[in-house]
Amino acid sequence: MEIHAVDSAPGVHYQLRVMADTSIVEIRDLTKTYLQGEIKVTALDNVSVDIAPGEFLALMGPSGSGKSTMLHIIAGVDRPTSGTCRVQGVNVPNLNESDLADWRNQNVGFVFQTFNLIPVLTAFENVELPLLLTRLNRRERREQVENALSLVGLKDRMKHLPRQLSGGQEQRVAIARALVTDPALIVADEPTGNLDHQSATEVMNILKSLSGQLGKTVIMVTHDPKAAAFGSRTIHLEKGELVKE
Amino acid sequence: MTFATFIAKNALRNKRRAALSILSVAVSLFLLVFLMVGLRLFTHPPETAGAELRVAVRNKISITFLLPARQRPLIEKIDGVTAVTPFTWFGGIYKNEESTTFAQFATDPAKLRQIFTEMKMPEEAYTAFAAERIACVLGKLSADKYGLKVGDRIVLTSSLYPNPMEFKIAGIYSGTQDDKNLYFRQDYLDENSELKGQVGMWWLKVRSADDMPRVIETINKTFENTSAAVRAETERAFQLGFISMWGNISLLVSLISSAVVFTLLLVTASTMSMAVRERFREMAILKALGYRRHMLFAFILAESFGLAAAGGLLGIGGGYCLFTYGDVPKMTNGFITALQVTPDILGIAAAVTAGLGILSSLMPALSVMRMSVVQGLKSLD
Repeated sequence: MEIHAVDSAPGVHYQLRVMADTSIVEIRDLTKTYLQGEIKVTALDNVSVDIAPGEFLALMGPSGSGKSTMLHIIAGVDRPTSGTCRVQGVNVPNLNESDLADWRNQNVGFVFQTFNLIPVLTAFENVELPLLLTRLNRRERREQVENALSLVGLKDRMKHLPRQLSGGQEQRVAIARALVTDPALIVADEPTGNLDHQSATEVMNILKSLSGQLGKTVIMVTHDPKAAAFGSRTIHLEKGELVKE
Repeated sequence: MTFATFIAKNALRNKRRAALSILSVAVSLFLLVFLMVGLRLFTHPPETAGAELRVAVRNKISITFLLPARQRPLIEKIDGVTAVTPFTWFGGIYKNEESTTFAQFATDPAKLRQIFTEMKMPEEAYTAFAAERIACVLGKLSADKYGLKVGDRIVLTSSLYPNPMEFKIAGIYSGTQDDKNLYFRQDYLDENSELKGQVGMWWLKVRSADDMPRVIETINKTFENTSAAVRAETERAFQLGFISMWGNISLLVSLISSAVVFTLLLVTASTMSMAVRERFREMAILKALGYRRHMLFAFILAESFGLAAAGGLLGIGGGYCLFTYGDVPKMTNGFITALQVTPDILGIAAAVTAGLGILSSLMPALSVMRMSVVQGLKSLD
C-alpha cells in the first residue's frame, strides 16, 4: 500500500489515499453538497479512497461526518456533486436510473440498521425479493434462498414472519437477502445499531466470514469501535473529510 | 413467491382497511348500478309485447281533461285501426287504504282483450267479464296482496265519482308490465257518473307498424279544430311523456351518480395514499434492491386496481343478481315490475371501477417514483 501526499509543501493537510494494487472501489475527489433550506451543507469534501477486493472496511466518524453519504454513493443509491466512484471499473454515478437499479441488484447487498424486512413476507420471501428480478426459475431461486439462509444459520426459520423473529435473527435474514444475488459488495449501515451485545457479535462474525471466507468486500458504517474491530481496516471521516490515521 | 403474490400480500396487509375499502367500493358501485338501472327504467321503459301496435289518444291540453265518447266511431272508421277501447281513470280507494294503491280503469272488455294481448286470463274469465255489468278483472299482484280471488266482491270509493262502486272479480290476469290494475266496464261507470258520455282517453290497436304514422296523423287531424282536440301517440311516446313530467330525471340521476363516484374516488385515493405513505421506507428498500421506478408504480397500481376490482365485482355483481333474479315487484311493492341491467350499464360500472383503481393510486405511485432511496430510508415508519 502507498500513501500519497496531495502536496508536499509544509503545513499542507495530507489527504489520505490508500492505493491497493487492484481496487474494487476507487473513489477520487468525491464531493457531495446539498441544500438544507438556504444553507449549503457539504457532506463529503474531496474524499479519495481505494478499497481492495475482499476487504472488510469500517467507516467511522461522528454524526454528520459523511460516512453514510459515502456508503450510499458507493452503493449507487446517491450521486455525488463531483468526483468519481468506480466499483469494479464501473463509474457508478454515471449510470442512468434503470442501469443503476440493475447494477445494484447484481453487485450490491444492503444491510441496514433497522433490518428493513417486509413485514408481510416470510423470511424466505424477503430473501427471495432480489431474485425475482433475475431470470432464475422457481427451483433455482429456492435453492439460492435456502443456501443464503443456511449461511446465516436460519434455514429452519424460513417460513417465519419478521415479527416472529428476534432482532438478531431479523438482521441475519437481512444479511441473507444481501447475499442471495452473490454480489461482490456488501454495504452495511450501522448493522448492529439495534441489537444486543450477543446478537451484535453474531452478526459481526457473519459479516467477517463473508469477507474472509467468501471473498465479499464488506463496507460497514459504524459508531461502535467494537464492531469496527471486526474489520480489516478502519477509516475515519470528520466533517466530510478523511482524517489522517 | 411471484409478483402477484407480493402485490396481494401488500394489499391485504391491513385486513380491516382492505375490507372497508372493498366494501365502500362495493356499496358505491351497487348504488351506481341502481341509479343507472333506475334511469334506464325512466328513459327506456320496458316495451311490452304488442306495444308497437298500440296508440294512446288523450286530450291535447292535458290527460286530466276528458274526451267525448262520440269520438269513438270516428276513430274506429279510420283505415288501419283494428280495435278501440275507452280508458277512464276511476281513482278508487280500497277499504282502509289512505290512497289509491292500484289503478282502476273503465274499459270495453272485448276490445281490451284485443288491444292488450299480453294479458293472460282463462277464457271463462273473459266471458264473465264481458257478460256481467259489475264484473271486473284484477291484476295478480293486487289479488295476492289483498288475498282476493275470483268471485269476490269489492267496493271502491273515489273522490271523482259520487258513489262508491261495487265490483265482482271475474278474473285475475297476469303477463302485463303492471299486473296490479283493475279493469271494469265503461258502461257501468257511465251509470254512476255525472260525466256520462265522457272518457279519459282511448287506446287503440293498428293493423301494422306501417299504418301507425298515418293513423296517428289522421286522428290528430280529425279532431284538430274541435272542442276536444287530441294528441295521438305511440305507447312509447305516451310513457315517456309521463316521465318527462317528473322533470329532468336524467340530469338529476347523472348529478347524483357523479357525486357518488367523486366521493368514492376521494375516499379510495385517501386510503391508498395512507397505505403507501406507511410503506415509503419499504419502497426505498425495494429500489435499493434493484426494483425500478416503473415496477413500483405498477405494484401500487395493481394493488389499488385489485381492491377496486374486488369491490366492483361485489357491488356490480350484487346489483346484477338482485335486479335480474330478484323479485322486483315484491321489493318495490309493485311500483316497479322489472329492472334491466344491460351490458351498457355493466360496462359503465366496470369502467368506473377501473378508473377508480387507477386514479386513486396515481398520486401515491408518483410520489414513490419520485422519492430517492436515501429520502425513503430516512422516512419514519
